[in-house]
Amino acid sequence: MQQQRRRNAEQSPSFLTTFALAGALLLMSACTTTTKELALDGTFPIPLISKSPVQMGIHLDQTLTSFTHVETIDKKGSWSVALGPAQQEMFGNLAIGIFENHAFVDNLSVEAPLDGVLKPTIREVQFALPSQTRSDYYEVWISYHFELYDRAGTPISEWKLPAYGKASKTNYASKTQGLQAAAMAACRDAMAFFSINFSREPAVRQWINNGKPLMPAPPDPSNESI
Amino acid sequence: MNQTIRILNHSAKIAAIAITIMVSGCVTATVQQVRQTETAMTAEDSVVVIGRRNRPSQGEAELDFIDCVSRNMSSGGNGVQVISENQFMDALFPWFEPRTAPLNTNDLPALLRQPILAQRIREIGLKYLVWLDGRTKRTSQGGSMSCTITPGGGGCFGFLTWENDSSYEASIWDAHTARTAGRVSSDAAGTSYVPALVIPIPLIARVQTSACVSLAEQLKTFIQSGA
Repeated sequence: MQQQRRRNAEQSPSFLTTFALAGALLLMSACTTTTKELALDGTFPIPLISKSPVQMGIHLDQTLTSFTHVETIDKKGSWSVALGPAQQEMFGNLAIGIFENHAFVDNLSVEAPLDGVLKPTIREVQFALPSQTRSDYYEVWISYHFELYDRAGTPISEWKLPAYGKASKTNYASKTQGLQAAAMAACRDAMAFFSINFSREPAVRQWINNGKPLMPAPPDPSNESI
Repeated sequence: MNQTIRILNHSAKIAAIAITIMVSGCVTATVQQVRQTETAMTAEDSVVVIGRRNRPSQGEAELDFIDCVSRNMSSGGNGVQVISENQFMDALFPWFEPRTAPLNTNDLPALLRQPILAQRIREIGLKYLVWLDGRTKRTSQGGSMSCTITPGGGGCFGFLTWENDSSYEASIWDAHTARTAGRVSSDAAGTSYVPALVIPIPLIARVQTSACVSLAEQLKTFIQSGA
């Protein structure tokens, strides 16, 4: 009987420790917000459009290909949306559809037969959950910025492209899936808008109509006299 | 012995029918159509059912409803060839995206004048475009239920009820003539119940399924029946 009591007395501290640890873990899990990570899931279509008579170099720098948007929403947690890894496929398929020929390049100046270089960047990303907007939709906005250079690396034109995508909460079981679908829709929107409007950009149209010439180099600020 | 088995089989059938009636709530469905032009399909022709997404609408049709209508239109003895929404959107990208899709048939001729687009439509054999608009929503709900679990067992007690209302409209465009062929609408309403006396028994009214099946059947009849 005494032995039994001693055994119980020996076991009690370890039992209490386990209980306390479990309680602490529960409290910690309640206080800690985990970041939900999501990446774009799906494939991008090739635009069905009359091709521009341009052999284009596409320069995707590391800032774009590793672009991740992190946002924390009060009482809803944090989200990390990795948009960068999908940009290569997105711009690859876009280029197949709208340019006569294309190649991914590392620099802004290229050799013939390429006529110029297109450099896309993501300037800003925003998203909203249905609970924030009191609507049925997950929404994603991506602000793209495009720069076009001639083959010597001289700027021809630059323009902004705001893209928007939404996904109804009735179609997706979780917030992660809903945001993923909205982000995909925003990327498709960017592709659609770019496909239709690339050759309508006044400076781009003029450059193409003039035979894609080398542009005059911008004045060097250090040589300018005051 | 054989007679006993036959009586048991008969009882099982009656029980199965009774359970089926019991576990599904009542649904009232109404289908209406307006025809503007004659319609016809050949074996090579196909149809696509797509949801309207090009405006900030509160009535965006659910993806599973669009899928349900497509599946029901392609099944059965009078089934037609249906292209999936995703396949169509990708094949004709970027012309039917939310930002670029034509809002009405007035925008279609300009689109179809593009040789590359007209050729792709011929390749996939598209004859009719069915735009779907609408949604299923819960219009009312009531009742309460409480459940208890004890070491000796558990159970629920109470009564829940809710009413769902489905309202969808399909606008049918002729891709060959670039004109509206007509409209078909489907409305369904039904009340679901969950009485619980120890075990909850859900009596679910399949409102959306009913709207889907009746809309798909009417669409099939509409595009195949001609004038």
